[in-house]
Amino acid sequence: MFEKYVKDYNDAIFETDKEAALAVVEAAVENGVTPEEVVFKIVMPAVEDMMQLVINNLDTNLSQHFMVAQIASEVTEKMLALFSAPPEIIGKVVIGSSVGDLHSLGKRIVIGCLKAMMVDVVDLGVNVSAVDFVNAAVEHDAQVIAVSSMMMHTATGEEGSLQIRELLHERGLEKQIKLIVGGSPFRYDNELYTRVGADDWAPDGISAAKIICQLIHEVQAS
Amino acid sequence: MTPLEILVATLTGQAAPRIPVFCNFLDYGPRELNMTPKEYFSRGEYMAEGQLKLLQRYGHDNAWCMSYVGIEAEILGCQEILFPKKGAPNVKDFVIKSWDDIEKLTIPDDISQHPHWQTTADCLSLLSQEIGATNPICAYASSSNTLPILLMGMEKWMELVLMGPKDLREELMRKCSDFCQQQIKAFRNAGAHIILYATSFGTPYFISKKLIAEWAVPWMKNDLQGDAGGIVYYCGGAPMNEVVDTVMKEVGIGAYYISPLDDLTEAKKIISTNGLTCAAIDDIKMVHWTVEQTRAEVKRLIEIGKPGGHFLFGSSLMPLELPEENILAMIEAAFEYGRY
Repeated sequence: MFEKYVKDYNDAIFETDKEAALAVVEAAVENGVTPEEVVFKIVMPAVEDMMQLVINNLDTNLSQHFMVAQIASEVTEKMLALFSAPPEIIGKVVIGSSVGDLHSLGKRIVIGCLKAMMVDVVDLGVNVSAVDFVNAAVEHDAQVIAVSSMMMHTATGEEGSLQIRELLHERGLEKQIKLIVGGSPFRYDNELYTRVGADDWAPDGISAAKIICQLIHEVQAS
Repeated sequence: MTPLEILVATLTGQAAPRIPVFCNFLDYGPRELNMTPKEYFSRGEYMAEGQLKLLQRYGHDNAWCMSYVGIEAEILGCQEILFPKKGAPNVKDFVIKSWDDIEKLTIPDDISQHPHWQTTADCLSLLSQEIGATNPICAYASSSNTLPILLMGMEKWMELVLMGPKDLREELMRKCSDFCQQQIKAFRNAGAHIILYATSFGTPYFISKKLIAEWAVPWMKNDLQGDAGGIVYYCGGAPMNEVVDTVMKEVGIGAYYISPLDDLTEAKKIISTNGLTCAAIDDIKMVHWTVEQTRAEVKRLIEIGKPGGHFLFGSSLMPLELPEENILAMIEAAFEYGRY
């Protein structure tokens, strides 16, 4: 029966059918599946499956990424309140759109996935200055700064990621805070992230969550 | 032959001395006139002057009568545009802040009379007088599935499309389609030859092919009202190969601005001589290419697309960071390798 919940949930996500996905979760809980099992054995694997599809370049689209993140985030939030003990948080990230950039969709997908993966997320919103990114990362003791830029001038501008790198360097924070970038320009030029001083990049919100988790582990291991 | 005659010959499969060479110098006008984007886009005269100077400087084929994408939102009530020091202006104030605002959204009876339309109209009128008989003049129109992004942001629009009440979604589409029809008509009446029809939800990168076929395509038909003349299908640089066939059959659009992320060989095969394949070079990568790399990529694209005709070479969005020598190399190579 449990496998059926997993399959039905995955099918609903793939079809971008939120109501069906939520109904599967509701039925599972009613039939004795614990909130922990819902998050760790249904929701999180669904996010990871989507990551795998994206990594293998199989046929997925932005609406599926959006839905998997949105539903994962909602279900996780509901289930967390029902956990028998607080879950272990694997790390913390501050996220926002770069200065001059008002796009927010990619960021939202990343946030949804990270929540389901037990990462604490501080959302700084859109049009965020480099100083605000760094100050927030220090204030919240975050291991990763994630910057979304949808336009070339916001991706490569001197007041964006380049300045974040400069500030991290000046303040001696480069070992404890990693910088990841994402957004349209980076999809066209896969080496662009190195030119804006980032440690890594992601071609989409789903992969970004996975890479952020890896960066958190890197910082914690160093 | 003039560039306009070359374009017409290419579209109709007649003999031409070379392929058309298009450049999208959308952000370069302010720099050309040594103005801030805000100052430059405040008057149609500046926009026309900028385009004419760029045409003179680089010798490509086309000019643009476009101010910035957010002008569509301004016509519909947007109160604030974020003007960067350089680069494309952004919509800062969303007209639709909650779903209730969809009902309140009003489409003007005649957008060509709207004050915010006048800069575009003035620019188009001046370009038509100066070069309308010799060079293709391009305009930009958001499709019904794309205009909502400017009115409420991509995040909220995606939410409405996938999870919101269908009746509200369709009401917004109806209003945006009405706007799109008016805009296309106004461009045609004022002398635009080419209309870049932007359809963000017309790419399988965004939504499933099923949703494109069942939802986006019928609205595209409504946007175009059976007349796809001069329309170029454009997905904001996202891949489109997988839907070209459907759009061609169902909507009747004949020209496709293929993404650098698409396989051009495949695109050319799908479109064949039934329409125009427009190859866009990856000008984000071009920012860091050498002149030789730029020339090599132009050659590669043209060698794929030129055989059999019905092919246009073009830039993508041309970021301001492009080195001057690469722009010159791209255009020179396009003319050289594009000769028949």
